[in-house]
Amino acid sequence: MNQNSYLSSFRAWFTAPMLLSFLVFGTMPLWIDAVGLYQYLGLEVMIWVIFALAVNLLLGYTGLPSFGHGAFLGIGAYAFGLTQFNVAANLWLSLFGAVAVTAILGGLVALLISHRRGIYFALMTIACAQIFYFIASKWTDVTGGEDGLLNIARLPVDLGLTEISIRSNFSLYYLCFAAYVIIVVGLWRLVHSPFGKVISAIKQNDSRVAFLGYNVWLYKWLIFTLSCAITGLAGALFAMAQEGAYINIMSLQWSGIAILIVLIGGGFISFWGPVLGVIFYFLARDILGAYTETWLLWFGLIFVGMVMFKPEGLAGMWRDGRTLLGRKPAPQPEPSVTEPSAAGGD
Amino acid sequence: MALFEASHLHKRFADQVVLEDITLSFEENQISGIMGPNGAGKTTCFNVLTGRFKPDRGRVHFDGRDITGLPPRKIARRGIARSFQMMNLFDEYTALENIVLALPEVRDKGFRVLHDLSNDSGAQDRGAQVLARMGLGGREGALASDLPYGQRRALEIGIALAAEPRMLFLDEPTSGLGTDATAILAELIGEIRKSVSIVIIEHDMRFLFDLADHISVIHWGQVIAQGAPDQLRENEWVRASNLGALA
Amino acid sequence: MADFLLTLLPHLLNGIALGLLFALLSLGFMLIIGVMEVINLAHGSLFALGAYFAVMLMSQDGGITHPFMAPYFDLPIVLRYIVALIVAPAFVAVVGMGLEVCLRRTYGKDPLYGLLLTFGAALVLEEMIREIWGPAEYFLPIPKAISGGFFFGDMIYSNYRIFAAVFAMAMIGLLWAFLNRTPYGAVIKAGAHDSEMVRVLGYNLSRLRLYVFAFGAALAAIAGIIMAPIWGVRPHVGVDAVIPAFVVIVLGGVGSFWGAVSAGLLVGMVVALTAAYLTEWSLLSMYLLLLVVVTFRSRGFAGKASALEA
Repeated sequence: MNQNSYLSSFRAWFTAPMLLSFLVFGTMPLWIDAVGLYQYLGLEVMIWVIFALAVNLLLGYTGLPSFGHGAFLGIGAYAFGLTQFNVAANLWLSLFGAVAVTAILGGLVALLISHRRGIYFALMTIACAQIFYFIASKWTDVTGGEDGLLNIARLPVDLGLTEISIRSNFSLYYLCFAAYVIIVVGLWRLVHSPFGKVISAIKQNDSRVAFLGYNVWLYKWLIFTLSCAITGLAGALFAMAQEGAYINIMSLQWSGIAILIVLIGGGFISFWGPVLGVIFYFLARDILGAYTETWLLWFGLIFVGMVMFKPEGLAGMWRDGRTLLGRKPAPQPEPSVTEPSAAGGD
Repeated sequence: MALFEASHLHKRFADQVVLEDITLSFEENQISGIMGPNGAGKTTCFNVLTGRFKPDRGRVHFDGRDITGLPPRKIARRGIARSFQMMNLFDEYTALENIVLALPEVRDKGFRVLHDLSNDSGAQDRGAQVLARMGLGGREGALASDLPYGQRRALEIGIALAAEPRMLFLDEPTSGLGTDATAILAELIGEIRKSVSIVIIEHDMRFLFDLADHISVIHWGQVIAQGAPDQLRENEWVRASNLGALA
Repeated sequence: MADFLLTLLPHLLNGIALGLLFALLSLGFMLIIGVMEVINLAHGSLFALGAYFAVMLMSQDGGITHPFMAPYFDLPIVLRYIVALIVAPAFVAVVGMGLEVCLRRTYGKDPLYGLLLTFGAALVLEEMIREIWGPAEYFLPIPKAISGGFFFGDMIYSNYRIFAAVFAMAMIGLLWAFLNRTPYGAVIKAGAHDSEMVRVLGYNLSRLRLYVFAFGAALAAIAGIIMAPIWGVRPHVGVDAVIPAFVVIVLGGVGSFWGAVSAGLLVGMVVALTAAYLTEWSLLSMYLLLLVVVTFRSRGFAGKASALEA
C-alpha cells in the first residue's frame, strides 16, 4: 500500500531541520569548550530541550497552558533516585521507574483537569504543582525535604554485552542526546499523525471537535499524561546531571521559566520553538548573567514583550526573515499547517 | 415514527424559562424548518436537540433510541451533525484539512500514530469530493481563515456534511449572506437533501418556505404552529405574529 | 464542649479578618475580570507590591536611607501608617496602569495571551521585588494602638485582627457605596455588563479600562498592606494571594458583590481553621480548596459562560 511505502521512507520520519539539530547537538561536546562554554552547559541544554518539548506538546500543540510542569520534573528526579536506592541500581529500571511514576501521577492530575481549558486549566495545574511541592517539602523521610535527595548515581549504561560508564559529563551528555533523538523522532511522528491533527484541532476549536464525534477529554488526558511522562524522563536525566534531586526545580518559578522558554522560542508556530527557546535561555543566562544578577528579570521582560509584539517568538522572527528575503517559508516546522497532499487527485 | 422526535422539552437558565414544553418531530428524507423571531428560543432549542445543553425535562429520540443528555460526541456518532451560526472552523487548517478531520473514517484512525493523513488517498479524495459538492473545488489548499465569508459559510456546512450524518442540523445557514449567495446556498441544500435529512433554523422566511417540507414556528419558548409551508401561510398565529408577511 | 467553643472563638475571628481581606482582594480582581475580561494572574504580585511599598514608607529598613527623608521617619508612626495606607496603593495603581497598557495588545485575541502576559508580569514583579528588597522576610511595623492583644475570659485576642476586620469591612462598605451610589460606579458596572454600552453612553472605554485596572490594583495593595502583619512580607506572597482571590470568585460568581464577600469569609474561615489546628498544612488547604471548588463548582455562574471559561 501507498501508506506503508510512505512510512517506510526516510522522509516520513526525518526532516532537514531535524538532521541539522542532530548534527549540531551530536557534535556539541567536541566544540563547546572551544567556543568558551563548558560541558555541563551542554548537558543542561539537552535536558531542558526535552522538558521544553514536553511542555510545548501542551501549550503549543493542544493550547493547554500548564503552569506547574516543574513539579513533574521534580517527581521524575525523585522517582529516579528512589528506584535506584530502593529497587535496583540499574539505569534502565530507574529510568523506567521515573517515567512510570511521573506518568501515573500526571495521569491522576489529568483526570481532574482534562475537561478544563484556559484559566481553569492553568490554575488547576498551579494548584496541583503546589500540592506536590508541599508534599515533597514535608515528606522528608522520602524526599530529604529541603536538603534534597543526595548522592544519586550516574548509573552505567548496560547494553548486555558491554557496560558504558556515564560518570563524566561528556558521556552522560550522549545518553541525553540519545534520549533527545528518540523523543524528537517520536514527537515529530506523533504531531504529524491523525492524533496530532486532532489535538491541534482541539487547540483551535475544542467544541467543534466534540461535535464531530471525537472524545476530546480522552485526547487531552492522553496528551497530558504523555507530556508528564516525557517530563519525568527529563527529570531523571536531571537527577543524574545534578547527582541529586532537589525541591527547587518543583517550584512555580521553574514551571514559569519553562513556559517563558517555550513561548520565546516560538512554540506556538514551530516544532523547533522550544529548542530555540532553551538555547536562547541558557545563552542569556550565561552571557547576561555575567553582567547582571537581575538577568531573570530581563528575561521576564523579554517574555512580556514577546507576548505583546511577537507571540510567534524566535521561530516567527526566523520565518518573517525568510519571507522578507523573498524565500518561501519552510512548511515543515509548523505544527498545525501541513501541505495538502495531491495524492490520488484527478 | 419519525426519525427524530423531541417531546416536552423544558430548559431554563437561572430564573429565565427559555423552552417550555417543546414537542417536535423531523421526518426522514425531508427538510424540516424551525423559525421564529429573535430571542424566541430557536438557538437554545437547537442546542438542546444537538446535545450542547441538556434539557431540564423532556426526552429526545433519534432513530427510536433515547439520546437525551448524551454528550455531543456520542450524539455525533449516532449520525447527527450540525453547523454553527457563529462559524466554528479550524482557522489554522486548510479547507481540505477541515473536511478531512470531520470524516468518520479519519475519526476512527485518531489514535493511529503511524498513520499519515496527507498520504491517505482515500480520505483525501473523499474530502475533496465534499469540497467539490460545496462549490469549493480548487480551494483545497487555502487556509480556512483566508477564505472569503461566503466560502467560509459553505465550509462550515461542508464540515458537518463530511461527518456523513443521517440528519444534518443547520444553524442559520444564510446568516450574513447576500441575495446571490443565499440563492447558491439554497441550490446546494436542494442538492444535498438527496442523501441526508436536514433540519434548518432560519429567520429568512422566503428561504425556508421555498426549501422546507415541514416548518415549526417557535415563539416565547413554545411551538405556536407547525405544518407544511402552504398550511402555515394560512395560519392565524403566523399571520398575527407578523411572521407570515414575508411568506 | 463549651471550652472547645471558647478556644475556637479567636480562630473564628481570625477567619473573619482573613475572609474580609480576601473579599477585598477578590473584589478588585473581579472588577478587572468584569471590565477587561482578563484574569489578572499578577493580582497577587500587586498585593505583594503594596505590602513592600508600605514597608518602605514605614521604616528605613524598607530601602529609603537617604538623609533627605530622615525627618519623615521621625514623624509619629500613626502618621506614617496613614501615609502608607494612602501612598502605597497609589504607587501600585500606577504599576497597574502600566500593566493595563501592556495588556491592550491582547484585547480581542485568544484569552490565552492575556493569561500568559499577566503570568509573565507576575514573574517580573516577583523578580523585581527580589532585586529591590532581597529574598528575606520583612515585617511591617504598625502603630501601638492596633498591636498587642487583650484578654477576654482566658483567651488572648489580637488587637490587630480586630482592626483588620473592621478596616476591611469599612473598605468593602465604601466600595459598595462607590459602585452603587456614584455615577462612576454606574459606568463601571455598565462596562462590566457590556463594554459596548460604555461607548454608547459616550464614555471613553480605554480610559475606563485604565482606571478600573488601577482601582483594582489599589484594592489589592490595600489588602496586601493590611495582610502584611498577618502573613509577613515575602517575595513569594503574591502567589499565595492570587489563589484565594480566584477561589473566592469561582465560589461567589463573577459579578456578584455579596457573593464575593460571603465566599471570601468562607475561604478565610477554612484557611484560618486549618492554620489553627494543622499549622503545617495551612497553605496547602488553599490549593486543595481550589481543586475541590473548581472540580465541583465551576459551572455555577448561572450557567452562563464568563471570561473564566475561556
